[in-house]
Order: sequence, then structure tokens, then C-alpha cells
Amino acid sequence: MAAGSSSNVNENIPVFEYKDINTKPFHVGSFRTAWLEKLKPIDYSYEDKYEENEDADFAKEMGIAPETLDELKAICRQRKKKQDYKGTLRIDKISRVDHYQDELESLAVGKRPEDPVDLVPEGEIILSINVLYPAIFERFRYVRPHMTLQMLGSHSLVDLRDAICCISDLQVFGEFSNTPDMAPDFISKDHFKSAFFYFEGVFYNDMRHPECQDMSETTIDWAKTRDFPTFHKAKMEDTRFYDLKVKVGYPYLFCHQGDCEHVVIITDIRLAHKDDCLDRKLYPLLTHKHRVMTRKCAVCHVYIGRWLTTNDPFAPNDPCLFCERCFRMLHYDKKGNKLGQFLAYPYVDPGAFN
Amino acid sequence: MPNGKAKDRFLKPLVADYEELLGRFQQTESVRFEEFTAIWRNMGFSSVFYGSLAGNEMREFCHLTLTMAFNYFLPPYSFQIRVGGLYLLYGLYHTQLASPKEKIRIALKDWEQIQKFYQDSVNSQHYDAVYIIRKLIAENAVLYTAMPQMLTFRVKKKPQHHKVCEEFRDRPERVKDLISTDMLQEVANIQGHHERLKASVLERSSIAVTQQDLPARLHSCVLEFLHWQDRHENHGDADHLVYAEEKAQQVESSNRAQLLASIKTKSYGCLAEASRSRRHRQVEMDTSISGTGYIKQAPKYHKSRAPSLKARTNKNLCGEGQSPGFRCKVNNSLFDFEAVDPYNDTVRAVVELIRVVHNVNEWHGTQLLLPEQKEGSCVVR
Repeated sequence: MAAGSSSNVNENIPVFEYKDINTKPFHVGSFRTAWLEKLKPIDYSYEDKYEENEDADFAKEMGIAPETLDELKAICRQRKKKQDYKGTLRIDKISRVDHYQDELESLAVGKRPEDPVDLVPEGEIILSINVLYPAIFERFRYVRPHMTLQMLGSHSLVDLRDAICCISDLQVFGEFSNTPDMAPDFISKDHFKSAFFYFEGVFYNDMRHPECQDMSETTIDWAKTRDFPTFHKAKMEDTRFYDLKVKVGYPYLFCHQGDCEHVVIITDIRLAHKDDCLDRKLYPLLTHKHRVMTRKCAVCHVYIGRWLTTNDPFAPNDPCLFCERCFRMLHYDKKGNKLGQFLAYPYVDPGAFN
Repeated sequence: MPNGKAKDRFLKPLVADYEELLGRFQQTESVRFEEFTAIWRNMGFSSVFYGSLAGNEMREFCHLTLTMAFNYFLPPYSFQIRVGGLYLLYGLYHTQLASPKEKIRIALKDWEQIQKFYQDSVNSQHYDAVYIIRKLIAENAVLYTAMPQMLTFRVKKKPQHHKVCEEFRDRPERVKDLISTDMLQEVANIQGHHERLKASVLERSSIAVTQQDLPARLHSCVLEFLHWQDRHENHGDADHLVYAEEKAQQVESSNRAQLLASIKTKSYGCLAEASRSRRHRQVEMDTSISGTGYIKQAPKYHKSRAPSLKARTNKNLCGEGQSPGFRCKVNNSLFDFEAVDPYNDTVRAVVELIRVVHNVNEWHGTQLLLPEQKEGSCVVR
């Protein structure tokens, strides 16, 4: 039964392409309709089903006598063990680290919106998406630092794009030793707005702003000259998750800032459940995020480094990290004149999103 | 994370516990929930969730228990084991200590199987199984997903496939699936049609291309096979004991087979249900034949066993002229390297090497015997 693809007439049923690794591509919207067809609406609704009604329906359907029903209920109930407290009660104190470790997950569970308009409708699809940090280091061998987002099927890809926080978006480029106060005006996020997603041979470009370019052009043209199947293009803002045809568990690409690439894996697609967070406003929901170590100032070791200097006669090593205060104190006099010759770059710490 | 992830640590013991529980359930030869709960309470199975687990591990562990238990709810297991799997899921869902409760994930591809199972239970009037399925769905214990587990493309880690426990497997229904009643019906129709056409074309049908009584013969073949299966399983226990002495790993299952044989001879549980393979004969069938929890021993002997270590070593060292200078005989644990050509320099060198290696104690507990007669040979045992 493992990869039984040949026997599946309906290709909207996801099956394994490689067992336990990823599935074959399927259309998300059709998957949802397939489930909704098979279930009665009451199966996936959020309300508590009243027990007596359920049992009465059951008895009617099966045509069994009420005595049998009572017997069934008596047999199938859950018996609670008598717990003797005091003597054997153990309170496990969870250490603070563990408690907060996955607090993100439990933060939004079971939340209901105040305004019923914002309620996630029954039968809505929830996707869990892992976005991996751009991993170019050797030390990411055993751990794959990622952030997990939960999204609704009716969100579009731009919602996903906006929810991904990457430090390369905050980076400021340029040398600012002469004008240290002007640095914050040039965040990369505002300059370079192009981005694209790649799912199953289609590039979804972000075309919301006039200065966005089509970054996938290069790749598509290159692929035409080589022996690749033709790729297609689409707009990110017009595509919802329901329109996508994807494989679950298979890595895809998100590229922004020209060369900052993230691997995107859709880990799970399912119908919404009573215990999920049902407030639309809270989606895209962050359920997991890897913390990155922050690097502190070389001088005080207290504040996070903000400036990177090179060719600096005042600094102990090259390049050297300084926090705002130490940087000013060391390199500029009271009037703000630059002392000595050095190059200074604004530094964004990778742990800025912790 | 101390000592690795929950999944690695707890997988094997959990599966062992499940198989113990389901094995006991199988022996009761019944599908009643009371029997199951008796075994559950006996084993104190709720205590599987006790023990101090760090932080979020409890949730991971509950997820793992439910995922592993769900495997027993699907084919290729026999009906009784599947019912046991269902009861197991019900029990685990309610006794779990994670809060809010960890849900049971059902993938779209498995839904058909579950519906079939539900229909079978309804038809055989196993109301406790039916009630429990409905209760689980009504309690919102089920998450309707695309895939049974969350997939994160962990290619490097070897994915651990669920090993189907052979003892719980259902009898192979391949013959019955191939030649179903529908198919026989159709064959009979086509046969009749062919005969009529032939009669209308030729006055005297001396040409007989087809066998006249094909459907009847197919039917009798199938019945014969089913009979044979039954008989083989009933006798299989006795035959099995002969083989059991030789193989160490069969000992446990032979004990169970003996136990089962003794239970069968004593008395049969009064099962109202006819096994799935017998459903088409339910009217005439006597309920004295017990249900579906057969131990499938017979196919084990038909399966070709992988060549033993001895055979493989022989093949590797002596076969195909790979080592022209040596002949190697493997007797139990002895390696007899016999130099065919003792005056060959290479051969001598190898023998020297063996001596050196042995001196370095690489082969623990080995003895190097150098018989005087044949120079250039040695025995390592």
C-alpha cells in the first residue's frame, strides 16, 4: 500500500512519492474538496456534539434496542482511576528553558476572535510551512534552524512573504563613518523589494510595487538554453494556497534581496480543528523559531553590536564590533567630529528577531 | 536534548508493548471491548504516559504513541487486530496526559480503508467497534490531514518504516480477490453468450474452443484453495513444531502456536462474526470455527530464506575464482584457508599476514593452528 499510485484514480489524494519523505504533487484546493465530500459537515465542525443526540442517532441508525445502547455506553466509558494524592503526588518542575522552548506553539492554541467575522471558517485548510534560514555554514549539520508558520488556505503567497523575517531585509549597505547619523534611512527591505517563490516548476514573482523586478527571468532564460523542462511564471499576489499544486514535505525555494535564498518546506496540510487558533487576524501564525546567538560589543560585552569597523587603529582586531555608545565614545569627539581614519559599517545582528 | 529525541528513544519499546497487548488480545479470540479493557487494566497500560518528561516532550511522546498505534488500524492486519488497534487508539487518546489532547491524524488516502472497516463492523454487528469510531469522531479527536505524519524532508536520517508484525497479518486473500463472485458471474455470462452465438452460427457445434464448465471449475478451485488454507492452518501448528527446534527465533511463536492449538481444542469462543474471507458462505457456516486471529505460520516456509552467513562467506571467499591461490572452507565457525599453491609468493605473503594479524589479536578468541603437513596453510578458528 506504500506508494500505491497506480491504483489511485483520483490524483487529488496525496500519496507518497518516496515513502515517509515526500508526496507527489497535488492541488491543494481539490484536496480540500475531496475531504469535504467524504465527511459530514458535523464531523469537522467546531461545536461540541451533544452526547444524547449522538447516542440517539446511533441507536436509530443501527436499529438496536436502548438496553443494548446503555450496555455499550457502560462498557465503553472511560474509567478514572482512583488517585491517592499527598503520598504519591509528584510535581515535576519544568525548567524555565524548557517551558519557554515551545511556548510559541501553545501561545495561540484555542484562541477565539472577539469579532465573529474573523472566525476561521469550518473546513478551512491550515498549512504548516517550514522556512529554513539561509544555511551556508558547516555548523548547521545536525540542526536545521527554521521558523514554522501556520497559514490558512485562503491566504495568498504575499502573506507568506511578509511573514518571513530574514535579517538580510534589515541590512544597510554602505560605509557610514563620515555620516553615522544617516544610517537608518537605507534599509534593504525598502530598496530591494523583489522576491519570488518557486513551487513545482512555476516561479511566483512579487509584483506589487513598481520597482519590483522579475527576478526569475534570468533563471528561466538560462533554463531554456539547457536541457530543462520549461518553467512558468505567475504573480505572487494573485495566487492563493488553494491554487497551488505542491508536494508535501518537499523543499522549494524563496529568494529575495537578489541572492538571499531560503528553503521552504510545506510540512503539513489539514483541515481546521476546534483546538486550533481560530482568529484570522493572528494568521500567519509563528509556531516555532530558532534562536540565534547574538554577538555583543567587543568593548562592554553588554549591548548588541551595531557597528562594524575595519582599518580601525582604535580597535583591537579587524573587523571589530561595537555597540552604539562605545562606537561614538571611541571614534567621535563631543562635537561629533570623526577621530582617526577608519571605515564603519552598520551591522545587523542575526539574532535581531529573537 | 538529553539522550536524543523522544522518537528514537521510545519507538522500539513502544512497539514491543503494543505487540504484547495485541498479542494477548489476539489470544482471546474475540473482538469485544470488555476483553480489551481487561487486558489493558491487567497490563496497566495507562502507565505508559507516566514518568517525567522534559518540557514539551510529553506532547511529542503522545503524538508518537498515537501515530504508532494507528498503524495497527490499517491493512494488512487481520480484522481482529484492526479492532484491537481501534480500541488501543481510543484508550490512548483518553489516557494521554498532554493537554490540550494530542489528536489522531487520519490521512485522506486511508479514509477508504477506514470506511470499509466501518461497514464490515456494521454488517457483522460489532456495535462496540462502531460506537467507538463514532465517539472518536464526535469528540473531535480526529485531524483530517494530507499525510499521516508531518514531513520535513529528512533524507539523511533513515526513515523507520513500520514493520508489519507477521503474526497479526491477515490471511492472504489474493485468490479470492482475483476470482470474486462478480467475476465468476461475468465469466458465466460470457460463456453463455458464446455458446448461444456458436449455436446460432453452426448447427453442430463440434468445435469446442472453450471449456464447457469453466465457471464451475473456477469456483471449485477457489473453494478447494480456501479449504486447503484452513486445513493447513489447523495442521500448521503441528507441523510447525518440527521446524521450531532448529530455528531459535521461531521458539516464541511456536509456544504461542501450541497455546493456540490447545485453546482451540478445548473450546471455541462463540463469535457471532464470520471472518471476512468466509462472508460469502456465512449462511451455511458453523460458528464453531473460530474467527480471524490466525497465526500465519505457513508462508514462512515458502518464503526463500536469505542465504546464511556460512553460505555467503563461502560464496564470497571461494566462489567465482576471486582468490585463485586459496581455497576456503567454512565449517561452522572455522575458516580453513588452504593454500592451493604453497610456493606462490603471494600466497605465502597472505599466510604471513594472517599470522601477523592474529598476533595483533584482531580476531578475539581465535586460535591459529598451523598444521605441519601442509606448508602455507593455517586454520583460524
